[in-house]
Amino acid sequence: MYVTADMLLMEQPQETAVEVTLVRAVLDGDRDGFARLYDLYAPLVHGILLARVPRAEVDDLVQDIFLHAFKKLHTLRDAAAFGPWIAMIARNRAVDFHRRSKETVEINDDLRGSDTHDSKAAEILELIRSLPEAYRETLVLRLVEGMTGPEIASRTGLTAASVRVNLHRGMKLLRERLGFMEGL
Amino acid sequence: MKEDYLWDKTGEPDPEIQQLEEILGTLRYQPKPLELPHDLPALRQRRNHFPLVAIAASVLLALLAAGVWLRVRTQDESQPKQASAAPTPAAVDEQPTVAKKSAEEPTKQKIEQVRKRGLPPLPRYTKREREEALAAKQQVMLALRLATEKLSLVHKKTQNPSNQIKNQHRAG
Repeated sequence: MYVTADMLLMEQPQETAVEVTLVRAVLDGDRDGFARLYDLYAPLVHGILLARVPRAEVDDLVQDIFLHAFKKLHTLRDAAAFGPWIAMIARNRAVDFHRRSKETVEINDDLRGSDTHDSKAAEILELIRSLPEAYRETLVLRLVEGMTGPEIASRTGLTAASVRVNLHRGMKLLRERLGFMEGL
Repeated sequence: MKEDYLWDKTGEPDPEIQQLEEILGTLRYQPKPLELPHDLPALRQRRNHFPLVAIAASVLLALLAAGVWLRVRTQDESQPKQASAAPTPAAVDEQPTVAKKSAEEPTKQKIEQVRKRGLPPLPRYTKREREEALAAKQQVMLALRLATEKLSLVHKKTQNPSNQIKNQHRAG
């Protein structure tokens, strides 16, 4: 499938105006503006973390990341780049987390589910986590957080073409690993 | 088209993807209020003065370089005239005293005129001093060129932070 530049431009949602307004409001001392940014971007940060760290740690880390972002917001030069900026903070925080913890404990925690459906979800999530990094993040944002490809591109700062390729290649790999012939 | 469903949830839904969405949807983010500590001070935008400082430094360097260049140029222009105006020792010997005096007259008049205008007479430099000044000028020009290059690089980086977000598309 060929994707033209015009198609990509049309697919990019225009959310930057809202971000810019909110970031400026927060920098002018409006805390409620930051709460709105949190509402907009918490699913993104949650998805990025879920693709990398144990589920039990994700919620606390989301809070930590937004607290850190609040303190460091003045260092953000381009207010329109809030999404890519906080996504990068989340990725870095996930790397820091792994430096401090042991992998074996995380896997056991993740596989433990309260019921069959939950354990199935944890199992599939674990399969997604075994995929290359670029695929796993995009797949989690699409399949877990329910974002569309254009939304993922707009909020992470990746190009729409990259997200599209990552989604399709990641999905292909996931299907192979899941073995859809046997059914879920 | 099934591929469009994966991309933007349009077109014919893919049952496998829908099934995955249903199962994985249980892990989706559950909205929780953000807990910002009350003792956190309100943010105030800190102005980034770097571009202003950089521009001021560039202008200063440019002025410095221009000053050195002008001085050396003036020196270069005045030296050949003086050399041509001043007679060689051999010529001095050949010329009568009256002729020597008449040749010196216009120079003295010029100096007097300059003094009357209040401008200081130009200092005389030896050949070695001129060479040193030229070398210094070249160094300043080189430093200025380097500073300009660095500043433009910094300017590009600061103006376009989104360039730092690299394409994460990798082969599996």
